[in-house]
Amino acid sequence: MWRFLGTRLAMGFLTIWVTTVLVTLLIHAVPGDPVQIMYAQSQGTTPEQIEQVRRSLGLDQPIPIQYLMYMERLFQGDLGVTIRGGQPVLEVIVQRLPNTLMLAVTAMFIAVLIGVPMGFLAAYREGTLVDIGLMFLSIAGISMPHFWLGLMLLFFFALELGWLPVSGNGGLNLILPALTLGLSNAAIFARLTRSSMIDVMSQDFVQTAFAKGLPKALVLRRHVMRAGLLPVVTMMGLQFAFMMGGAIVVENIFSWNGVGRMAVEAIFQRDYPIIQGFILTFSLVVVIVAIVIDALYAVLDPRIRRA
Amino acid sequence: MSTPLLSVRGLSIALGADARPASLVQDVSFDVSSGQILSIVGESGSGKSMTAKAIMGLLPPKASASGTAMFRGQNLLAKNATQPRGTGIGLIFQEPMTALTPVLTIGSQLTEAMVFHGLANTSAAHRRAAEMLDRVGIPNPAQRMRQYPHELSGGMRQRVMIAMMMLLEPDILIADEPTTALDVTVQAQILDLLREIVFDTKIGLILITHDMGVVAEMASDVIVMKAGKLVEAGSVQQIFHAPNAEYTRALLDAVPSIETAHPASPSTESTVILSARNLHKTFRGQRGLGLVGPKTKALDDVSLDIRHGETLALVGESGSGKSTLGRVFLRLTEADQGSVELENIDLLALTGSQLRLTRRKIQMIFQDPYASLDPRQSVGAAIAEPIIIQGSVTKSDRRETVDALLTRVGLTPEMATRFPHEFSGGQRQRIAIARAIAAAPDLIIADEPTSALDVSIQAQILDLLADLKQEKRLTMLFISHDLAVVRQVADRVAVMRQGRILELGPVDDVWSAPRHPYTKALIEAAPVPDPLRKRGLRTPLSGRFATGKLTEAAPGHWVAL
Amino acid sequence: MGITVGMSAHSAPAGFWRRLFLSPNGVVGLMIVLGLIFCAIFAEILAPHNPAKMGTGGRFLPPSGDFPLGTDEFGRDMLSRILYGSRITLLIGAVAVGISMTVGMLVGMLAAFHRGWLEMILMRSTDVLFSFTETLIALSFVAVLGPSLQNAVIAVGVAGIPFYARTCYSAALVETSKPYFEASISAGAGPGRLLFFHLMPNVLPTMIVVATLGVSTAILAAAGLSFLGLGAQPPTSEWGYMLAGSRDYINRAPWLMTIPGLAIAITVLGFNLLGDGLRTSLDPVERK
Repeated sequence: MWRFLGTRLAMGFLTIWVTTVLVTLLIHAVPGDPVQIMYAQSQGTTPEQIEQVRRSLGLDQPIPIQYLMYMERLFQGDLGVTIRGGQPVLEVIVQRLPNTLMLAVTAMFIAVLIGVPMGFLAAYREGTLVDIGLMFLSIAGISMPHFWLGLMLLFFFALELGWLPVSGNGGLNLILPALTLGLSNAAIFARLTRSSMIDVMSQDFVQTAFAKGLPKALVLRRHVMRAGLLPVVTMMGLQFAFMMGGAIVVENIFSWNGVGRMAVEAIFQRDYPIIQGFILTFSLVVVIVAIVIDALYAVLDPRIRRA
Repeated sequence: MSTPLLSVRGLSIALGADARPASLVQDVSFDVSSGQILSIVGESGSGKSMTAKAIMGLLPPKASASGTAMFRGQNLLAKNATQPRGTGIGLIFQEPMTALTPVLTIGSQLTEAMVFHGLANTSAAHRRAAEMLDRVGIPNPAQRMRQYPHELSGGMRQRVMIAMMMLLEPDILIADEPTTALDVTVQAQILDLLREIVFDTKIGLILITHDMGVVAEMASDVIVMKAGKLVEAGSVQQIFHAPNAEYTRALLDAVPSIETAHPASPSTESTVILSARNLHKTFRGQRGLGLVGPKTKALDDVSLDIRHGETLALVGESGSGKSTLGRVFLRLTEADQGSVELENIDLLALTGSQLRLTRRKIQMIFQDPYASLDPRQSVGAAIAEPIIIQGSVTKSDRRETVDALLTRVGLTPEMATRFPHEFSGGQRQRIAIARAIAAAPDLIIADEPTSALDVSIQAQILDLLADLKQEKRLTMLFISHDLAVVRQVADRVAVMRQGRILELGPVDDVWSAPRHPYTKALIEAAPVPDPLRKRGLRTPLSGRFATGKLTEAAPGHWVAL
Repeated sequence: MGITVGMSAHSAPAGFWRRLFLSPNGVVGLMIVLGLIFCAIFAEILAPHNPAKMGTGGRFLPPSGDFPLGTDEFGRDMLSRILYGSRITLLIGAVAVGISMTVGMLVGMLAAFHRGWLEMILMRSTDVLFSFTETLIALSFVAVLGPSLQNAVIAVGVAGIPFYARTCYSAALVETSKPYFEASISAGAGPGRLLFFHLMPNVLPTMIVVATLGVSTAILAAAGLSFLGLGAQPPTSEWGYMLAGSRDYINRAPWLMTIPGLAIAITVLGFNLLGDGLRTSLDPVERK
């Protein structure tokens, strides 16, 4: 088991390291002069100021040196300053990150709590109307663009019915964005759970359990469910990453003050320090969650726990 | 004999509820009494497994059974019969590797049914389970109960299965091919165990198998099934020594016996065609998910000569290295050390286009007929591939060659445009043989070519190979775990275990007078298709065997001691 | 390198077409997709008005006889915009998946075939890129190159590569370990023949299913980018962009929001159903 986790951890570090490299190179991929572009929209910056920024970012140095400068600043917690207001990027991100995380985690809860039982039920009643109905629902759910779902929910619950607020942060405001993100992903969990359960049910050891005279409900609960949920756990890591991605759009619809909204604004404003900081943070969060989920899986699957 | 435990009359199974249901089993009848071992014998598609499932009430949803199966006073096949599963009739089946739930401990799997059926409370169940594990020959029961299935070997898992079913104290035990997936020595132990249990507890055992040797060993009574119909039923002596039905006779004819001497073959030349020296190969186990497992030594200082025109067999159980050796010759697996010379060419040193050109000199026939042909390639193209690549024959001649090859292996030329999925397993193996001889190789390596085929088809394929060998003076390396087949097919045999050759010599010498204790154990374990030759209880196989250098104990007969 | 011996070399799995039509999902999906293709090809004939022309009708006209889907904030006919939008949507799907699949398949097949240091490098890189998630990759691309539909499509295409590479790799691993592959190696086949003649045709069916499902993902991703304003720019009739524009007028003209969203949903549904149908019909290739 430790070997398994060790490999995962190593890959995680590798990913983060590659991210830092890519992030430094990002600025150079921009066609044209990045510093000019960054400051194109802010009035009154003198050529000397631009030169200063250029030197402080190390853009006049060869790339490896730049990278070292970037890493040095990174370890000191300095992610640069925003173009707009000159705030430290780290501060801006730290302010907003908890909001995004809250959104993603809540959405994950919703997705799992709705999706997994749905899939389980569909598998249990495989081939019946219940199964067909649920699966049609889920395929419809997957096909629906989550930004459209968000708009529709906004329209019905906030504007038409006035039950929930339209935008803002915290509290009741969490419900609509979390629902939007959660429902679209619930469909994926439903399908995955169903196919995993059906797969497990066709395995030999289920026959053995029946051959012992155990009733269907007991077999499902003790044998099928535990074995079938393992792939679902693995999926959770992947789905979390998707949800983080989806959060970017959802935050925009509901004016939720998280890092996703920050990133999109930054792209429009060509605020590269924020974009770099965002990419790094996003990667870090995704990698950490993936490792945590892998650790959970290693504990749950006896084949890995006692390899 | 008193009233039978189970009495089946006119059992029929049909698939599908629509107008024309497909008939899987028709009108099968038999009895099973206390202390009796009944064997149901048949090839694939005979319906033998379905029969067992019908009795247990485990048929797939679309299948329905009719007829009577009287057990404990009621008809099991009736609509509302109480299921006999577990406490009435137990079932063990073929694949021990997948038959146990991977996420539950052995202990909990052993005890759950006892607790459910009310046979014992949790602590009593635990105690009984440990006792039963001991009874079936598993050392350290307490420790094993806390382990998970993946930590046990195939043989041990099968013992656990037997224990699991016996704990429920059934009247009848059905064993569906219980030892097919196991090594021959392990198989012997499991069969012995089953016999002991029947003797001690007086249950009735229904042993389902395709292996006539196992039937002869174990059964007192036999029924023979073919394509869902009962072809013949009788005592084991009668079936083997005086079979009535033609099918039974044909089946018995097709089964090779380890005691039949090797058919006389033309004396082989003594020139060496392939010479392997000091081969070593170690594998790092892959456990999936990027894990690396323990190292296995597949080849441990192996040296071998293959002579012109002979068939040399490599025999061994799983993990012996026999397949690895064949693959090293083919350069499909790279040896860590050592040399292989084919007609004065240093095989292991070749690279690039040189290697590609030389490859045609050694060809392989694989075990799995279903995966050895590219499903997207027509049969004719597959056979012609070696010829095309070598570029030695013109396009028009190619067609003729392919046609001739197809005819030679017992198929017809118009099959060349068809695709693999349209053919049966036996036919696909013929196609594979045609492909192997297409480019006139110097050496053919056959890796378990008939292990996946029914016994009657196996006989045909082996005959074909024997014919071809005669006609084309083929040199063949025949890899197998089946000792009887090897005696029929090979001139010389090499016995391998854990990467070493333990005995090597002419097949009749080695089989009738084995010198190495491992060879002796193997031969002792192999069931013979003759009920008069039932074995007594065998001494259990201990782990250690002498593995020294090969020394010549008699002319041409080498032993590692 | 002759491929055939005067005999046809390759085939579709037995009964493929029959099974596809037996699967209800597949049939419905196929019909939707075909309908979409029809709209895209014949948009000029089907559309009653010029989609870009402002003031074709009054602003914010609800659906009626003249304008079956109403008009938008600039008085443009929604029906025409939707019809032209279908063309763009299909192009997006095709180009993005085209990029992802071509590069992804190459990487996947090479990695499975080579089995050595190349495999390690390719697959590890793919894993790392994979953890970035498609959204982030696409976003980064657009951040660097600037918002435009073209960039969005390329971004989505590139972002999808790791997924296709991984899927192709698993499928290719299965095929390369099968005996027929080794038999061809034994016959002396060179890498070209092995890769393109044996490996690719056997991996293609799986990849086609994945690609069909992938078209829906690509369309959703590109629409998402356009929705954020990072993709299609005015006055393109791209559905995601149309959705973005509808936000300010939700109360006043709800059809502006419903209709483009519905269009996306139905399109994506069609491809998903088709992919599902393809998957079931390709599954039982052989029966023992």
